[in-house]
Amino acid sequence: MAEETHMAEAAREPRKRKIGKKKGSKAKKKAKMLQSAESIRAMKPKKIDKKMQKLYRKRARDYNSEDESEQDNATPLGNNEDELIGGSSSGEEAEKGGDHSERNVDNGFSDDEEHGEILPGIMRFTEGSNAFRLAFRSIIKKTVPEDVLGPVLSGQKKLVAEKLAEEENERKVKGEAKKEKQLVIEKGHVKPANYLDSHEKFLIGVATKGVVKLFNAVNKAQNAQKGLNPSKFKDAKVIKKRRKEAFFSELGKTSSRGASASAKAHTSKGPVDGEGPAWAPLQDNYMLTNSKLKDWDKMPDTVVGDDIGRVSEDSSDDD
Amino acid sequence: MARFRNKKKVFVKPVSKKQQATVDHVTGDKIPRSFVFSRYRLPGPLKQLQADLRKLMLPYTALKLKENRRNKLKDFLNVAGPMGVTHFLMLSKTPTAPYLRVARTPQGPTLTFKIQEYSLATDVVRSQLRPRCPQDLFKNAPLIVLSGFGTGEQHLKLTTILFQNIFPSIDVNTVKLSSCQRIVLLNYNKDTKLIDFRHYSIRLQPVGVSRRLRRFVQNHQVPDLRNLQDVSDFVTKAGYGSESEADDEAATVTLASDLGRVNRASTKSAVKLQEIGPRMTLQLMKIEEGLCSGGVIFDEFGNGDGKKTKDNHEDMENDEDEHDEEDEENDEEDGDDIEED
Repeated sequence: MAEETHMAEAAREPRKRKIGKKKGSKAKKKAKMLQSAESIRAMKPKKIDKKMQKLYRKRARDYNSEDESEQDNATPLGNNEDELIGGSSSGEEAEKGGDHSERNVDNGFSDDEEHGEILPGIMRFTEGSNAFRLAFRSIIKKTVPEDVLGPVLSGQKKLVAEKLAEEENERKVKGEAKKEKQLVIEKGHVKPANYLDSHEKFLIGVATKGVVKLFNAVNKAQNAQKGLNPSKFKDAKVIKKRRKEAFFSELGKTSSRGASASAKAHTSKGPVDGEGPAWAPLQDNYMLTNSKLKDWDKMPDTVVGDDIGRVSEDSSDDD
Repeated sequence: MARFRNKKKVFVKPVSKKQQATVDHVTGDKIPRSFVFSRYRLPGPLKQLQADLRKLMLPYTALKLKENRRNKLKDFLNVAGPMGVTHFLMLSKTPTAPYLRVARTPQGPTLTFKIQEYSLATDVVRSQLRPRCPQDLFKNAPLIVLSGFGTGEQHLKLTTILFQNIFPSIDVNTVKLSSCQRIVLLNYNKDTKLIDFRHYSIRLQPVGVSRRLRRFVQNHQVPDLRNLQDVSDFVTKAGYGSESEADDEAATVTLASDLGRVNRASTKSAVKLQEIGPRMTLQLMKIEEGLCSGGVIFDEFGNGDGKKTKDNHEDMENDEDEHDEEDEENDEEDGDDIEED
């Protein structure tokens, strides 16, 4: 404790010294006189460059002026340190002691000089920065348990944890609801595979068969009337005859022949139309040929020519 | 605000100034036209499916049909008359599954399909290594192939007729092969009672020509001859041996006329199909006599004539709601809400 009182005195010193350089030196001397023999060794600091001394003092003053009271400045440094570290253990204090010695070596000051009011400003400055360094180092060195909340002390409280858990829960519920909604929206929506499975191949095969049949029928029909001009009366007659023949031959082999729906339906339809004049509006049944779907179930009985194709095509496709 | 809205509604937009021919000028058959629209709000993927279906129904459909949430079936029906629309394709969505209703206007019948599974055109395209879309692919109506429908059951026969009449018919004597670019396939599976709905593009390739030569003729690009000793190598070398296109005898046709630069009438051509989507697996749920109303001809569960089972009750309820609202708004002109571009 004796040291600390010294320090308090030293804290008062700078005011006096402010007046002049010389006085400062005198005060130093006085202090020296007061000190015991240990202070004799304090001659060393004098060797410090004057300019540097000035600078140090100035810095010390600035440093101290920020604090509320000068008296407290010197001593509570240790306490501040403790606060900074936040309940630091005794081990840290020991570390601090070790650091003290280190610093002494660096500056060339002894412990006694520090307390002996020789350049107290400098001491305080160095000590202050040191404390901060210590505190910082201890914080850095501290191993924090792996936690979501991190090293925040207040975060360790249960309240925050609960809040976070709640938020997480809410998010989960929301996400699930969204997912469900999306599922309902996407119901039935299927992304096709990027290869052809057997079913698709089968369907393509069926469709290909239909196309081939239609094209063949077209080829057959159009080859027959090649070179004939339907607008010429003579040619039109020939065409009519041929179509009639083709139509009756179709009728004869309906059961055996297999054709695609559209192809067949229309092949049979074509010849029926072909009975009249080539140009549509001249036909008797022009614009009357729309199928009457109202009586769709009576159709097989009444409209024979139109229906044979359909029936046959259906039966044939099943084979 | 309400007054303004009412005023806006009174304005009747003149429906489609340029009258398209409702009758094919060659064959004289009536050209079927269609509307594809949705009943009630659809989620994103189904909206896309609707767009795909519209594209599929081209060219005789309203590609940019604008519908309003407040549009009733009656509104569409009002517009359908003057525009010569003969078929409606309606998409709707319930919590269990999306539904597709295909109806003939104005009297019906209406077929209700449950869409078990569907894939969009974009999904199909994404699954392909080399998607193909020639420019004039959608300029002509697709062919339709129905297979497996010939089980003799009445409802299947009706389905066949309805789908055959949804696209313009082809006259074999006059049709141009270059206009046959697409094909719609409906395949009925007897065991599962499901209908596979597929949409393919048709491509013709000359048979017996090496890939290199075909490319050369098609692309008009200077081939890379660096690695060859002689020009003749280019013609004679078969290229890679991995030509998996083992030419199916069944898939080759002789063309009636030349088709493009490559496919000559004199040579044989192979038919290749590539899917363009959309893809659907449909289940026929019921058939109604009228347009979304009237007696039930066929029911998947009840199988009874005119008997309403519990399953189709929700649909009926929807329709009833519709009617109620329609009655309320009877004095208003609703037809103007539908616009066609």
